[in-house]
Amino acid sequence: MRVLVVEDDKDLNRQLVAALGDAGYAVDTAFDGEEGYFLGDTEPYDIVILDIGLPKMDGISILEQWRRSDRKMPVIILTARDRWSDKVAGMDAGADDYVAKPFHMEELLARVRAQVRRASGHAKSEIECGPLRLDTKTARVTCDGQQIRLTSHEYRLLAYLMHHNGRVVSRTELVEHLYEQDFDRDSNTIEVFIGRLRKKIPVDVIETVRGLGYRLSETPSPG
Amino acid sequence: MRFNSLAFRLFATAAAWTLLVLPIAGFIIYRLYRDDVQTSFDGQLLKLVNAITVDSMGSSGDAQPLPPSNLYEPLFEVTHSGWYWQITPLSPANGRKLVSPSLATWSLPSPAAKSISPDETGARWLNVKGPKGEPLRMVEVIDSLGHEPGKPTYSIIVAGPQDWLDHLVVNFRYRLTTALALAGLGLVAVTLFQVRFGLLPLRQIEGGLANIRNGTASTLEGELPAEIAPLQSELNALIRSNQAIVDRARTQVGNLAHALKTPLAVIANEVRADKSGLGEKIIEQTESMKQSVTRYLDRARMAARVGVIGRVTPVAPVIEPLVRTLQRIHQEKGVVINVDCPTEARFSGEKQDLEEMLGNLLDNACKWARREVYLKVEVPPSTSRARNRRIAITVADDGPGLTDEQRARIGKRGLRLDETKPGSGLGLSIVMELAHSYGGTCDLARAKEGGLAVHLNLPAG
Repeated sequence: MRVLVVEDDKDLNRQLVAALGDAGYAVDTAFDGEEGYFLGDTEPYDIVILDIGLPKMDGISILEQWRRSDRKMPVIILTARDRWSDKVAGMDAGADDYVAKPFHMEELLARVRAQVRRASGHAKSEIECGPLRLDTKTARVTCDGQQIRLTSHEYRLLAYLMHHNGRVVSRTELVEHLYEQDFDRDSNTIEVFIGRLRKKIPVDVIETVRGLGYRLSETPSPG
Repeated sequence: MRFNSLAFRLFATAAAWTLLVLPIAGFIIYRLYRDDVQTSFDGQLLKLVNAITVDSMGSSGDAQPLPPSNLYEPLFEVTHSGWYWQITPLSPANGRKLVSPSLATWSLPSPAAKSISPDETGARWLNVKGPKGEPLRMVEVIDSLGHEPGKPTYSIIVAGPQDWLDHLVVNFRYRLTTALALAGLGLVAVTLFQVRFGLLPLRQIEGGLANIRNGTASTLEGELPAEIAPLQSELNALIRSNQAIVDRARTQVGNLAHALKTPLAVIANEVRADKSGLGEKIIEQTESMKQSVTRYLDRARMAARVGVIGRVTPVAPVIEPLVRTLQRIHQEKGVVINVDCPTEARFSGEKQDLEEMLGNLLDNACKWARREVYLKVEVPPSTSRARNRRIAITVADDGPGLTDEQRARIGKRGLRLDETKPGSGLGLSIVMELAHSYGGTCDLARAKEGGLAVHLNLPAG
C-alpha cells in the first residue's frame, strides 16, 4: 500500500512517515502544496494524508483539482481547523475523512486502514481469502488459524494481494503500490518475494496468470 | 410625550408661539375695529349736526333759528331715546332755544362751555351721561344765523347713544375671542400632528434598530428622508465594520489554533513511544494543553460574539451539509440520519455556532447509534411573542444510551465516558457552553428510540 503524506511541518511529516512506515506502508512525502499536488496527480497512491494549510497551494484546491482530473484515491484531511464548516468544506471538496490536530497517531492509522479497506471494497477490518486471514488492525496474517511470520516487504505484498483478491494484479501495479517513489524498481524482486511467500503459505493460493500477473483465489485450482 | 424629546421641543415651541401671537393679534384687531366703529359713529353724528346747522341757520333773513326738518331719524321724537339735538343761543343769550322732543325737560351741556377746543372741522366732541345715566357721545358746532359773521350765534349739539356702540364692540370682541381660541386649538392640534408625522422616520429607525438587536434584520432598512439618510448609511457601515471585526477576530483565533495545534501534535507523537515516566508526563501535559487551547479558543470565539448586533441563521441550510458530511464520515457504519426541520426555523445567532452545536451532537449520535439518528427541529407557533420565541432541537440515537448517573456526570469539560470511541471528549460540553452563551439550555434525556436524546433550546430568529 502506498501512502502520500502532504504536510508542511517538518517534524509532523517525519513522525507520520515513521508511523506509517512501521505500519507497513510505502510512504512518499511532500512539504508543500505544489509538490503534493504533482505527486498525487502522477503516482498511483492507495491513500493520501493531506494538510489544509500548505505553502504554495492549499489542501482544498489540491483536492478539488485531483477530483476534477478523476483521481479517486481516498484522501484523509489532517488539519488544525476543526470547525464543522471546515469539515464540510473539506468533505465537499472530495475528502473521505477528516482528522483534527492534535490527534492520536493510532486513531489516524485506524482511519487510514479503514479507508484503504473501503477503497478496495472490504467492509470488515479482517480480510479472508481461502485459508488466509488478514487482520488489518494488528497487521497479522494467519493461515488456518496459525500465525505466519512475514518480513515487512512480504507483508506489504501479501496485504496488497489480499485487499485486491479475486482480481489479476500486474507486476507493474505491484511495483507501483509497494515501493516508495525513490525505490529502485526492479520487477524481478517481486518474483523473489512471491517465491518466498509461497514457501510460507499454501503454494496454490497465489496463482500466476501468465503474461498478466498474479491472482489470489479463494478456491485454489486443484493440482 | 416625554419632556426630553424632540417631539416635545418642537411641540412646545410651536404652541408657545401660537399662544403668544394669537392674543396680540386679537388685541390689535379689536382696537382697529373699535376705532373704526367709533369713527363711523362720529361721522354719522357729524353729518346730523351739519344737516341741523344748515337747516336751522339756513337764511340770514330770519331773526330766529328754524326747527330742522328732514332728519329721517324718528328716534329724535321718542323721549329719552338716546338720540338728541339741541340749539342754544350764545350771543345774544336771549335768542330762541330749540330742542328735540326726545330731550323732554333735560338739556345737554355745551362742550364749548367746558373749554373743549374744536377739531379741524370746527366740531367739539364730548362724552357725557344722559337723562337715564346712559353714556352719550356729543358733537357741537357753533354757527351764526345765515352763516354770516356778526349775526347772533348759536350752539348746535347732536348726541347719540355711546352704549349702543359699546355693545357692538363687546359683541365683536366676544366673537373675535371665540374664533381666535378655536384657531389656536386647531393650530395646536395641527402642530401635534405635524410633530408626530414629521418625526415618524425616527420612530421607523427605532423599530429598525430593535429588529437588528433581536436579529430579524441585519441592516437598517427602508427609505428614510434626506436629513437622516446619512445616519442610516453610517449606521449600516458601522454594523458592517462590527461584523468585519468579529470575522477578523475569528480568523485570527483560527490561525492561533493552527499555530498551536501542530506543535502539540508533534510533541505528543514524539514521546508516545517513550515508556519512561517522562514520556507519560509529557503526554499528560500535552493533553491538558490541548484541552486548554480548545477551551480558550472556544471562549475567545464566544467573547468575540458577545454584544455583536444580531445575526439570524436559517436552520435547514445548516443541517443539510452537516448531514451530507456526517453520512460520508460514518459511511462504513451506514447510519441513517432522519431530519425533520421546518423550512421557516431560524436561529437568532451565528451560523458557525449553530454548526458547531449540531455538528457535535450529530457526530456523537452517529458514533453511538446502531442504525438511526433522529434530528427534530420545532418552531413555536407564530402567535407567540416575538421577543421570547425559542426553537427546540432534539438529537437522538438508537444506541445504548446513558444511565442517569452518567448523564449527570457528562458535560463536564473533557470527560469521556468511553475511551474506545474516538473523539476529544469536548463535544458535548462545547455544545452546552455555546447554548448557555445564547441564553439557551441543553438537557440530556433518554430517547424513546433507546439511546441518548439531547434537547437544545435556543432563541429563535
